[in-house]
Amino acid sequence: MLRVKNVTKYYGDKKAVDNLSFEVGEGEIFGLLGANGAGKTTTFRMIMNLLDPNEGEITLYDKKIDYDVTDKIGFLTEERSLLLKLTVKELMIYYGTLKSMKKEDILKELKIWLKKFEIEDYEDRKIKELSKGNQQKIQFISAVIHKPKLLILDEPFSGLDPINVNMFIDAINYLKEEGTAIIFSSHQMNNVELFCQKLLILNKGKTILKGSLKEIKNRYDERKILIKADVTKSELSKLKGVKSVIIKGDEIEVNIDNKEDAKGIFDYVSKCKNVIKFEVVELSLHEIFTKEVGAKNE
Amino acid sequence: MNKKFWFLVKQSLLKKIKTKTFIIVNILMLIALVALFNIDRIILLFGGNFNKVNNIMVIDNTKKTYEVLKMTMDSQESIIDTGLKYKIKKVDTEKEARKKIKKDKDIAIVIDESKDNIIDAKLISYGYMNANLHQLIVSAINSSKQILAIEDLNISQEALAKLSSPVNVERVYIQKDKSESEENMKYIMSIITPIIIFPFFMLITLIVQMIGAEINEEKSTRSMEIIISNVSSKTHFFSKVLAANFFVIMQCLLLGLYSLIGALIRGGTRINFEGLDGIGNGTISKVKDTLVSTGVLNNIISYIPLVLLLMLITILGYSLLAGILASMTTNMEDFQQLQTPIMVILLVGFYLAIMSPMFEGAVFIRIISYIPFISAILSPSLLLSGVIDVKDMILSILLMIVVIYFLIKYGLRIYKEGILNYSSNKLWKKMIKALKKGSN
Repeated sequence: MLRVKNVTKYYGDKKAVDNLSFEVGEGEIFGLLGANGAGKTTTFRMIMNLLDPNEGEITLYDKKIDYDVTDKIGFLTEERSLLLKLTVKELMIYYGTLKSMKKEDILKELKIWLKKFEIEDYEDRKIKELSKGNQQKIQFISAVIHKPKLLILDEPFSGLDPINVNMFIDAINYLKEEGTAIIFSSHQMNNVELFCQKLLILNKGKTILKGSLKEIKNRYDERKILIKADVTKSELSKLKGVKSVIIKGDEIEVNIDNKEDAKGIFDYVSKCKNVIKFEVVELSLHEIFTKEVGAKNE
Repeated sequence: MNKKFWFLVKQSLLKKIKTKTFIIVNILMLIALVALFNIDRIILLFGGNFNKVNNIMVIDNTKKTYEVLKMTMDSQESIIDTGLKYKIKKVDTEKEARKKIKKDKDIAIVIDESKDNIIDAKLISYGYMNANLHQLIVSAINSSKQILAIEDLNISQEALAKLSSPVNVERVYIQKDKSESEENMKYIMSIITPIIIFPFFMLITLIVQMIGAEINEEKSTRSMEIIISNVSSKTHFFSKVLAANFFVIMQCLLLGLYSLIGALIRGGTRINFEGLDGIGNGTISKVKDTLVSTGVLNNIISYIPLVLLLMLITILGYSLLAGILASMTTNMEDFQQLQTPIMVILLVGFYLAIMSPMFEGAVFIRIISYIPFISAILSPSLLLSGVIDVKDMILSILLMIVVIYFLIKYGLRIYKEGILNYSSNKLWKKMIKALKKGSN
C-alpha cells in the first residue's frame, strides 16, 4: 500500500534522510523509531506531501503522493496542530472538509469518536479550554475522522495519562482491524512493542535496523536472566558467560552475551535452595534501541 | 481543490466577521456615522442652538461710534464668515443694558471717550462668550477706532467708505486653461485630501494586520501542517488574500450602508449641507458649491472608476506582500517587525498626499505618484487637483499590475518555503534559496 523507495532528503548540505526504504500494508502497524533529529518527522512530512524528497519515490496504492492521495491519509503531528480558538465541532468541520468530507458525515463520525473517548459533552467546547490530554484526543479524532487508509501517528501518547493511553491503544487496534495501515513513532518503546509488527530504527537519517519485531529481537544473543532464589552474587559472577550481576530488590538480574550460556546458569541455580523464579528474557526494544543508537552516536 | 479553496475563503472570512472586535467596531461605526449625519440635531437635542441670535447692545457714550462699529462688524463678518448671527442695537445706559442681560446671547458694549486712546470699551456678558464673537467684536472695535481717527482728519464719508472696503483682487492667468474657481478648488482639495486618504490608509493597515495575524496563528499552532497537507500552499495563499480583500470590500459596503442609514434617519438621501454648516462655519457648503460650479464634481465622478481600480489593485498588492512577509515569520511579534517597511511606505504615501500642494508642478511629485503602493494614496488627489492626468493614472495602474505579477510569481516561492519554516535562523538566506529553487 505505502511504499517508500530509496528516499533521500537534504536540508542544505545536511542529509536528513538517507536512502530510506520501507513498505506498509493494509492493517499493519509499522514503527518508525529514532532519537530526536533522526529524520522521522522529515519522513512523515514527505509522506504527507509537505516536503519533496531530493531522491527516491513515495507512493500510496502505486500512486505518487499528491493532494488527491493525501485525502486518504490521516496525520497526527508530534506537536499539537489545533486551531485553539475554534470549538471541537468547528475544528472537525474545518479539517474534515479539507479531507473532502461532507458536513453531515463529519458530525456523524465526530459523535462516534467523542463517545469512544468518553468526551461526548465537549462538542461545543473551545479547544483552548480543554486539558492537554483531551486536546490530544481531539487531535487524534481529527486525524481519523475521514477513515484514512494510512494513518501517521507521530508521538500519539504525548501528554496522556495511563488511562488515556489505554484508550488510544484500543482505538489504534480498532483502526488496525478496520484495515488501516498505521505508521507509528514513539519514544515509549513498551508501547511500540505492544503493537508494531514491523519496525525501522533511524539514526541521523540512516536506517540502522529494519524488520519484524521478532526478527530484530532474534538477531541479539544477549539475554537477561531474572532469578529469585538463595544464590550469591559472587558465585553467579564466576559462571561462564556472565557479563554482570545486578541485585534489584529481592531479585537478581544476570546479563549474558550468549543465550547458550543460560543453561549453565540454570544448572547452578537449580542446585540452590528456595528457587522461586528463573526467567530468561530477550532484550527489550528499549535496550536494543539504546544499544544501537547509543553505539552509533559514540 | 476548487471546493477546498472556497471553503478556506469562507472560513477565513467568517473567522474575521465572527470576532467580537468586528461586531463592536461596526456597532461603533454605525453609531458614529448616524451621529455625524445628524450632528446638528444631536447638538440641538443637548441644548445647542444654531439659530441663536446674539443681542449686542451698544452704549455709545461718544455719540459717534455706534454707526461705525455696526458697519465694521457687518463688513468683517462678511469677510471672515464665522456663521454667527447677531443683532446690534443702541441702548442709552449701561444700567438699562445690564438689566437686559439675562442669557449668554445678551452682550453689551460700553464705548467711552478716551483722551489717550480715542475710545475705550467695556464688554459685558452673562457668562463666558463665544470665542469667535469675542474676536469679531474686539476686531470691530479696533477697526472703528481707526476709522474714527481717520474721520478726525476730516476725510469725507465716500473716501472713508473706500478706505474701509476690501480691495478687489482680480486674478489673471497667462495660461488660458486656468481659472480662479479651479485655483480655489486646489485649496479645498488640500483640506479634503486627508479625509479621503485616511480611510484607505486605515483599510490597508487593517488588511496587513489581518493576513499577518491569521497566517501566524496557523503557523504558531502548527495547524498549518494539517492544512498544507490537504491543500497546496498556492491555494492557501490565495484563499487568505481573497478573504482579506472580500472583508475590506464588505467593510466598505457596510460603511456605505451606515452612511445611508444616517442619511435616511436625517430624512432623505439628499443631505442638507446647510444644516451642518453651523458646525463647519460654512466650509461644507462652500466645498459643495465649488465642486459643483467648477465642474470638478463631474470630474470626480468620471475619475471614480480609475481611482477605484488603482485602489483595489493596490489593496491586492498590499495583501500579497503581507501574506509573503507573514509566511516568513514564526509569530506575531516577528511579523510586527517585518511589516514595518509596509507601514513606512504607507506613511510616506500618506504624508506626500497631504503635502502634495507644496510640490505643485514639481516633476518629483509626478514621478513619485507612479510608484506602486504609494500611487493609490497619492494619485487621486493629484488627479483631482490637475497635477497629473488620466494618462499618468493609467501608467500607475499598469505599474501596479506589473508589481502584482512579480509578487505572485516570486512571492509564491517564498510563501511555499516559508509557511512550514519555524525557525528565524538564516531566514533571508532561506528565502533567497527559495527564489532560486523556483527559478530552476
